[in-house]
Amino acid sequence: MAQDMTMKMIPLFIPRSHVSTAGNKTGSWRFLRPRYDEKTAPCSAACPAGEDIGRIAMLTAQGLFKEAWEAILKENPLPGVCGRVCFHPCEPACNRGEFDEAVAIHTLERFLADTAARYQLQADLERRSPRKQRVAVVGAGPSGLATAYFLTRLGYRCDVFEATPEAGGVLRWGIPSYRLPVAVLRREIEQMRRTGFEIRCNRRLSREFLQEAGATYDAVYLGCGHAKIPFLNIPGEDLEGVTDGLSFLQRVNRGDEPRLTGRVAIIGGGNTAVDVARTSLRLGAKPVLIYRRRRADMPAFPDEIQMALEEGVELLELRTVQRIDRAGEEYTLTLRQVPVVNCAAAGKACVQAVPQECERLAVSKVFRAIGLTAAESWFDPPPNENRVIRLNNSVLAYADGAPIIAYGGDVANPIKSVVHAVASAKEAAIALDITFQEGAEAIGERMKHCRVGGGSALSMEIHMQGPRCRRSDHVVAFDEINADYFELSPRIVQPRLLKEERIDSFAEIELKISANLAMREAERCFNCGLCNQCDNCRLFCPDLAVVKDADSGRHINYDYCKGCGICVVECPRNAMALEEENQTQMNTAEEGVHGRLT
Amino acid sequence: MQLNVPDRDYMHSGHVGCPGCGAAVAMKFVLRALGNKTIMVLPACCWSIIAGPYPQSTLQIPLIHSAFETGGAMASGVRAALDVKGDKETCVVTWAGDGGTFDIGFQALSGAVERNEDFIYFCYDNEAYMNTGIQRSSSTPYGAWTTTTPGRDWKRMRKKNIVEALVAHRIPYAATASIAYPEDLLRKVSKARSIKGSRFLHIFASCPTGWRIPSEISVKIARMAVQTNIFPLYEVENGRKYTINFMPKGYLVKEYFKLQGRFKHLSESDLDQIQAMVEEDWELLLRKAGVPLQG
Repeated sequence: MAQDMTMKMIPLFIPRSHVSTAGNKTGSWRFLRPRYDEKTAPCSAACPAGEDIGRIAMLTAQGLFKEAWEAILKENPLPGVCGRVCFHPCEPACNRGEFDEAVAIHTLERFLADTAARYQLQADLERRSPRKQRVAVVGAGPSGLATAYFLTRLGYRCDVFEATPEAGGVLRWGIPSYRLPVAVLRREIEQMRRTGFEIRCNRRLSREFLQEAGATYDAVYLGCGHAKIPFLNIPGEDLEGVTDGLSFLQRVNRGDEPRLTGRVAIIGGGNTAVDVARTSLRLGAKPVLIYRRRRADMPAFPDEIQMALEEGVELLELRTVQRIDRAGEEYTLTLRQVPVVNCAAAGKACVQAVPQECERLAVSKVFRAIGLTAAESWFDPPPNENRVIRLNNSVLAYADGAPIIAYGGDVANPIKSVVHAVASAKEAAIALDITFQEGAEAIGERMKHCRVGGGSALSMEIHMQGPRCRRSDHVVAFDEINADYFELSPRIVQPRLLKEERIDSFAEIELKISANLAMREAERCFNCGLCNQCDNCRLFCPDLAVVKDADSGRHINYDYCKGCGICVVECPRNAMALEEENQTQMNTAEEGVHGRLT
Repeated sequence: MQLNVPDRDYMHSGHVGCPGCGAAVAMKFVLRALGNKTIMVLPACCWSIIAGPYPQSTLQIPLIHSAFETGGAMASGVRAALDVKGDKETCVVTWAGDGGTFDIGFQALSGAVERNEDFIYFCYDNEAYMNTGIQRSSSTPYGAWTTTTPGRDWKRMRKKNIVEALVAHRIPYAATASIAYPEDLLRKVSKARSIKGSRFLHIFASCPTGWRIPSEISVKIARMAVQTNIFPLYEVENGRKYTINFMPKGYLVKEYFKLQGRFKHLSESDLDQIQAMVEEDWELLLRKAGVPLQG
């Protein structure tokens, strides 16, 4: 068509650009410098085991269940157990709680452990090369097993001694199977044992062992737990039929399920008391919990109390038992009301000790379930003295010519919980490692660097210098999250058996969730302080100064970055920082390397 | 987790836009969606400078600098030349600031779209003549300080509603977009590219220098303009079919105003008045879109 028209080419004298602007190093304009700066999530700092929850949730949301499960195992070898019985202090700390509702971290943890079990996954965890020291662990409860697990990963040889026929401690003998099925526990014990230590059951040790151990072992870890229920010091408590609650739970967990009838009384307000009440309910009884303070003061986990009451357990608050009398098959408890006289805002209610009117309660059985203590006096840590190091969750005693003795678990923890037992184990393992490698004097300084978010939880990942050890201990607050990138979405509802289904069997109450739901829940996580490769920094950079690396990380090209800071503000999860430019730093040969993140 | 947008950039580093320049972000996004089969006409605006002094160019596509008032006419000519060459594939676009669109280039724009010339006109709106020193334009919002509306003489006229002016021409496609909503922006650019005839995109592009804001909140402030209804995201097809793309959460305009130095002289009652104006505009838009009024 063009040639039909008589068109004459005319010369065009238009200047044409022929080079790019890349020659202008606009980085010289910069007086603020953005950089990648991974920080600590509040959930992680609140977890006594220091689990890297933000990362676990991120991997779960990406469907990388094995990697997520391994991320838990780095800090806690008991995700299946903790995903069921932990009181999840992480969730109240969740920043998402200030937006809509906290992420269901507890449910995700259990999902990951169940998924690993279903596909029989084997964890590939980093292990140090073998070291010459050997450690004996006394007690195969959660703290003893976790200690052996951590020490084995640190390269030490461990032997675990257990008095009962099976490992697990309170998890095996104290917690009813509707909360924790035995199969779950056995699987995780096996998983731990496979890191390479031996468990010798039916080996009850005596105090003399501590003296003899020096020949074979460099250290002994005592994690014997609290396995004895003290007496109440009231008349009638030694009557036949007045039973120790823990022995009762043990008997049921061994498979013996006696039928109970009528009302039974449980004296105490801790988790053991609640477990005894709910167990006896399942065996046919009508349980009554008798506690000397208010419900709010009970040491048992509030969720457990709530479920117990739903199932039909009766609670008598503010009453002490004066005496127990027996008439035939019936026991009569004499109760005294104790009114609250003074109630501090954050503390247990003070109760009045003056005699009030008495009431009587007729029951068919009585269980003692008040605060547990160590079964033998030598299980408890020694008093503070020279050469005893008292840490947050463990105690170490040093003596010349004898092995180091470490105490952990219930005997060293103010809060008796599984996750605190793991915290003890990790703390003791790290302290022993530092002692063996650098001497006991180095513990304080070295341990400071292992703290998650500067709090009391320690991280094995940091101690072993894993890739995540670079996160700073700044704990991300809700205000530091760019909430515009998140939409309201309701928290997953943990499916449970109906009340009617619960009360006549020992079937697990909390049910499984699907992978789909778990991923959706994990996506709700803000991943506080953690880069999840959302690419916002690169997307919004007006200067194309954020560069994607081949390995899916990113770095800032400081040749061009003008320091506007958009990347830092648009990072939804505060994984970046904006700092004043330092002239000397700007001119170093390391340009471009500082901001690297993989 | 990543936003679903094309990944390839057609821009170079080393441009001389101010730190945090919203217009640079806007260009980056638009080019991602247009691709390199594009010729750009650039009337006088901030981008005349950002695109680089001769012999440099910031863009990886052909670009013609033009006179301030000729954005619409120049694009019409480029389109005609391509048509003569038989090139149907290359997309012709005009990239103009608010001055070159709302004021100086308005007659050329109006003429071109009245003829339904086949091109896309992008107006990146930073609400004043920023490049020449922050003089007010007909896009400068009510209440703003500029160097030509200084002190107590802050601007007391409303911002011209340019999209409605274009809609009145009954063009095939007119839409608003914001640098804070990349997915929405890139979708609209792709949609515009697929339509024949005159298309108009009004892109809200913040200006840290002229708005007196810290550069790091440049995108955040653009997002707030949408969240507060000051700059609603919507599109209009064939001058009739309105679609609102973002239903705001009812944030108050004063949250947006108090972060910006150009509004710091406004009193509470001024802000109340502006809130009422914004609500009035929003209700008008809802009516056009056939969305029932809330509350």
